Amino acid sequence: MNTPRNLLSRPWIWGFVAALLVWAVIMAVSGQGGGQTVSLALSLAPYLVLVGLGQMLVVTAGPGNIDVSVGPVISLAGFVSVGTSSATGSVVLGILAGLAAGLVVAAVSSVAILGLSVPPIIATLASGLVASSATLVIADGFTALPDPGLRNLLNLRPLGVPLLAIVVAALTVLAVLLLRGTTYGRSLTAIGQNTRAAERAGLPVVRITALTYLASGALAGLAGSLLATYIAPTPDLGTRYLLDSIAVVVIGGTLISGGRAVPAGVWGGALFFILLDGLVNLVGWSTAAQNLLKGCLVLFVLFLAGGGSRRPGAAPVRPTRRPSTTAALPTPANTGGTTHG
Amino acid sequence: MDVDKLPAGPHAVPPGEGRSPSTAVPVIVATNVSKTYGRTHALAGTNLTVHAGEVLGLVGHNGAGKSTLMRVLAGLEGCDEGAVTVLGREVPAGTRPREQDFRGVRMAYQETSLCPDLTVAENIWLSSRRGLPRLRWRRAAAEAVRLRLDEIFPGHGISPRDRVEDLSIAQRQMAEIARASLASPLNLLILDEPTESLGPDAAQSLYAYVRTVTARGGSVLLISHRIREVLSVADRVAVMRDGSVVEDLPAHGLGEDDVLLLMGAETAVRGATGANPPAAPRNAPRADTPVVAELRGATGAGLNGVGLRIGKGEVVGLAGLAGQGQQQVLERLWRPVRRDTVVHGTRAYVPGDRQRSGVLPLWTVAENLTISAMRTIARHGIRRPVHETAVAGDWVRRLSIRGGADAAMADLSGGNQQKVIVARAFASAADMVLLDDPFRGVDIHTKTDLYGLIRAEAAQGRSVVWYSSENAEMAHCDRVYVFRAGKVVAELVGPEISEERIIAVSFAEGDQPPPAAALASVPTEPTSTRSVAAPAAAGNSAGEHRHD
Repeated sequence: MNTPRNLLSRPWIWGFVAALLVWAVIMAVSGQGGGQTVSLALSLAPYLVLVGLGQMLVVTAGPGNIDVSVGPVISLAGFVSVGTSSATGSVVLGILAGLAAGLVVAAVSSVAILGLSVPPIIATLASGLVASSATLVIADGFTALPDPGLRNLLNLRPLGVPLLAIVVAALTVLAVLLLRGTTYGRSLTAIGQNTRAAERAGLPVVRITALTYLASGALAGLAGSLLATYIAPTPDLGTRYLLDSIAVVVIGGTLISGGRAVPAGVWGGALFFILLDGLVNLVGWSTAAQNLLKGCLVLFVLFLAGGGSRRPGAAPVRPTRRPSTTAALPTPANTGGTTHG
Repeated sequence: MDVDKLPAGPHAVPPGEGRSPSTAVPVIVATNVSKTYGRTHALAGTNLTVHAGEVLGLVGHNGAGKSTLMRVLAGLEGCDEGAVTVLGREVPAGTRPREQDFRGVRMAYQETSLCPDLTVAENIWLSSRRGLPRLRWRRAAAEAVRLRLDEIFPGHGISPRDRVEDLSIAQRQMAEIARASLASPLNLLILDEPTESLGPDAAQSLYAYVRTVTARGGSVLLISHRIREVLSVADRVAVMRDGSVVEDLPAHGLGEDDVLLLMGAETAVRGATGANPPAAPRNAPRADTPVVAELRGATGAGLNGVGLRIGKGEVVGLAGLAGQGQQQVLERLWRPVRRDTVVHGTRAYVPGDRQRSGVLPLWTVAENLTISAMRTIARHGIRRPVHETAVAGDWVRRLSIRGGADAAMADLSGGNQQKVIVARAFASAADMVLLDDPFRGVDIHTKTDLYGLIRAEAAQGRSVVWYSSENAEMAHCDRVYVFRAGKVVAELVGPEISEERIIAVSFAEGDQPPPAAALASVPTEPTSTRSVAAPAAAGNSAGEHRHD
């Protein structure tokens, strides 16, 4: 089934292709073995993938849905998590506290979006601002240190593959199952395609949308907790994750207009971005130049994807059809060949 | 400045003088005009001539093509075939009409075209800026609209500085008519259901003004469902059906029944040609049928004391002209949030506007079809794909959906998409299915399939509530409620249901005055503004007619 042609029609493949290209360039420029580069990328990518998965769910909920509070949530969760774990001595409690911080911020966003009909970008911007203020208050005179045990765990690389990468990969598989195999995932995808139609089809639009923002908040909280342990809690820990999380979702093939989520693509996009960072550092570009490059890349991908157009035919990327179901069903004899459009 | 030149009232020629159609160039001539939207033939080679100085009444049932014809005559849309000639200048088919050709043709819309956030004067600028000075236009516009309103509707209680949003429905309609009439020259004034939200006094004043316009040499095209009004005002009456003008008669000597017959004849013919299958045997409505839903004196949001009952296994029709409250009833049943609505059991909804509220464009037929059923098929939130596939295959076969379960929804024709969306509702476990005029623009074979499906599902104990703008479809119902102005005006059961009956009831002008009557009769002096507008608004909210 997976002929090369089939594989190329998968929307998630392009992130990986781009990542491979950048990797090749890095090897050519540095003249060193590529294994270490990959290992380093794999230890940084999981954090971005965690945030990206949450962002992907939100974006899938339809036009206008976006979570711009992920950056501040990561920073806040980092402080909350490190502070809690050092105060209680329990790593689990620390992570849970970070997760809870994300949930609280997301709850504020959800109430604003669904209860007060505030546009999501404004609502999450506002709740992000609240989170930033809280972060600054906590950061003032903050002395607690991350738990060394957890830090060692995060640095663990059996056979060169970071443990966290494996865990997050498993989580990505779970996200695929969630989207395909549960009523939640199906409802979310339907809402993203046509919210009005989903509402008329009897789907609980409000509940699903709220759950989606909460999931994004929780994942950003989790990423913040781990990242603060891995690096250190700082007020601008999450800053770069705002644009990056949206970028990896888009590059990964998820429709920016909603209705189609591609969890595997988030990995491709994340690896591409991390490697790109490495390459740009290698050739000695400034941070400003890096950001310029990234911004242009996102615009370019959106341009390729038809500007997020959802009109069938206008967008070059068509929904994937699963060949297996085609084979399993008795196809009616040649009804005008509509299936082969 | 031109607007100021328009004479107001006093030196108008008395009614009657300009009544005989002049021999001059007709104001507007539509020759063999056709217009198609997708698969719908809105206009099928229609002809219409409006002479200078006459009032032409245009009547016809829902979907006869009146609105489309008006849009073409007003230059808002080009026609596919035929030509429109304005004052001797021909606008050929296929071209986008140019604004300057239609400058003297003005239209007052039923749902007003005013911007709610702007003041009345600012709205006047939007549509009449050609006649206004560039500087100090606000004052000029205010003066012009005030004079015109005083002329048409004495005691209107509108200040040019009022925001449209703050006006009552009736006042908005008045402002809309004044807006349309402010043009120089005014060759043709099209009034689309102008009196639907006006009180009797205001209607009287309007028709007096219509006479003034014709006396000045302008023409008026009056579209109304109120046949009696049309007959009393118009010089000629044109009857439309199925996209063309089928009768064009002098109004003099014509009775209301004659006109209704001319409009309703269409329906009798349609029934006789076998386009619609004979009605299925009806369930005899029994007293012991359990009630699944009930509205008790539902009021507000376009409804005015609606009471109705839906029994188990019953097909209940909601009939009447479009927009009389039927969709609000469906909305109440779909989301029963108010206390006046009682609904037992689950519901499914079939939207009429499938592109906007039905189709999930990225998915296949099967995915579209099972989205509602999915949640009852699933166990603990986990889908059961095998069961879903079986359900989808079953329905695809049952309704013979072309392309099969695996075709992309977006590739299907409109009729097949509609089948999928109907199947989506019936594939769910809902006890009651709400149909929101879902068969508009659906071909006759698909309709026949779906009518059969509705009867079969009802026979198995499902209740169906069915709003349709096509009265012929009501023949498939056990019981029909006919709506007018947010009220149930008739309940027809079993053999009483017929198109003629429904048409007669929906057009019958009730004895009770229209809702806005209280408003128009509020004693006002057209002096200063807010103080007058306030009681008027209060009068309206006490009245019943409120749209949102």
